[in-house]
Amino acid sequence: MEAYSSKEVVLRTHGLSKKFGKRWAAKNLNLEVYRGDVFCFLGPNGAGKSTTIRMILTLLTPSAGSIEIFGMDLHKHRRAVLSQVCGIVEKPDFYLYLSAYKNLEILGSMTRRVQKDEIMEALEVVGLTSRAFEKVKTFSHGMKQRLGIAQALLTKPQLIILDEPTTGLDPQGMKEVRGLIKKLASEGGMTVFLSSHLLSEVELVATRMAVINRGELIAQGFVSELLGKESMEYSVQVSPLDSAVELLAKLTWVEVLAAEDGKIELRVEPGHASELNRFLVSNQIEVLSFYPHRTLEDFFLKITEGTSEI
Amino acid sequence: MKLFRFETYKIFSRWRTYISFGFIALIVIMTEVVMKLSAHEILYRMMRSFQKDFLIFGNVLNGWFITAFIMNSLHIHIPFFITLVAGDIVSNEATSGTVRLLLIRPPSRSKIITAKYLTTLFYTTGLVIFLGLICITLGLLLFGNGDLIMNYQTKFRIVFIPQAEVPLRMLLAFTAAVWSMTVVASLAFLFSTLAENSIGPIIGTMAVVIVFLVVGNFPFDFFRMLSPYLFTTYMVFWQRFLDDPIPWQEIAKSAVILGLHNTGLFLIAFIVFNRKDITS
Repeated sequence: MEAYSSKEVVLRTHGLSKKFGKRWAAKNLNLEVYRGDVFCFLGPNGAGKSTTIRMILTLLTPSAGSIEIFGMDLHKHRRAVLSQVCGIVEKPDFYLYLSAYKNLEILGSMTRRVQKDEIMEALEVVGLTSRAFEKVKTFSHGMKQRLGIAQALLTKPQLIILDEPTTGLDPQGMKEVRGLIKKLASEGGMTVFLSSHLLSEVELVATRMAVINRGELIAQGFVSELLGKESMEYSVQVSPLDSAVELLAKLTWVEVLAAEDGKIELRVEPGHASELNRFLVSNQIEVLSFYPHRTLEDFFLKITEGTSEI
Repeated sequence: MKLFRFETYKIFSRWRTYISFGFIALIVIMTEVVMKLSAHEILYRMMRSFQKDFLIFGNVLNGWFITAFIMNSLHIHIPFFITLVAGDIVSNEATSGTVRLLLIRPPSRSKIITAKYLTTLFYTTGLVIFLGLICITLGLLLFGNGDLIMNYQTKFRIVFIPQAEVPLRMLLAFTAAVWSMTVVASLAFLFSTLAENSIGPIIGTMAVVIVFLVVGNFPFDFFRMLSPYLFTTYMVFWQRFLDDPIPWQEIAKSAVILGLHNTGLFLIAFIVFNRKDITS
């Protein structure tokens, strides 16, 4: 992680703020996104995530502060910056009366000259080749989301900004989109900035994260550091229950919170989750299910020490 | 140029755009067929007021006369068809959410709004040219050629334009008609920039045009006093090209006033769009 200090900062905001009437939707945000990050902007609904993303993508004018992307001031070098950035704000809306191909051609050509095979290639990556020439109005929400990622890929951006990319998707769609995000960062070498209100999503895809609530930045750093600082709570369904509780009581890094109906609620110190599973299995305890129990609300309360209202 | 091409492609990919062309064709065909069927009655009414003073020979009820007759309804139905596209061109992007995709691209907002405005003007021009072509072609086919007789009843004047001179006069009249209609387009375009749905700009523009037309035509001194300040007063300046002699000074004045309206309306739309926070 020390190597990060030498990494290029792709996106930096200085005191970024936006006021609507008397209400601050974003207040004094200082974000730093490094090259190659999958940076997750986490916060509950109405926290100011979309407002911040809209300012970064020039849809909103900041009330105060500045945005620097690739070392350039966004306001002064808008064209140069946006030619290397692509994004989807909220839901991916397209010209419904045009085909997927034509949508990509029009939107892609606004950034650079795009060839037919490049458009087809982008559609192939997101699995929409067979629907290329069908009107977008016939597409499901998941397909539109994938088309949104295709249009982002088409312009070969260095920075992709996605506003809650899995919202409204079914589990399969969520899995596909998360897979695509990881692929963009690992294989495409792109920096991904995404917002989410799902803590589980952050754990699944992000390398670094920032937490925002009521327009203010609460925390920023590596996901492993921010989430790993806290003990995790788990629900474990085991058999036999009594033997499992007896065994767990001997462990210093586990605290049993409740045990009933074949299920144990417990708190585990950071880094011991897999060890716990191994421990139970090696002691002839059958583990029927094992899942983390942390919610975004819990996380917020912990990192704000109960001072923040959500 | 690329943005203008895309905007044109977008508006001509929507069936709504063709409604206007379809209805214009329908109105013109219906009017000309009905006029053909009622030719004797129309001719009698036309000539009634001055046939005791003049002897008129030749094909009076010809294609040019029919065209001029239909053009008189220009300021009523054409603005509505213009607003269908002009009132929708910006607001629809907000309604459908595509404005977010559009404005995060490298081209500046200034270029995008200018391309949209040029597309609106292009559509308006196309619509008026289409009206002209269909009127003249069908008119000449059904009613034949001849001198154009214009009866300015309010001025108690009859103007004869020789057959050889009519095509050029018609060309000038339609050019002026295009210019007139661009003001309606500019107004709808401004409303479209301010709104986030298409209904408001369409109704708003039509309301302004109708109210101005009504106010401008009320036969009371107070309303006559207002008339010079209403753009609709100058919109019929195309008719002056079918007068004799052509009142160039009056035409120039109307053209300049309408041009200033166009410039002003576009400038406001330009500033609004550039400063607008996209929250939709």
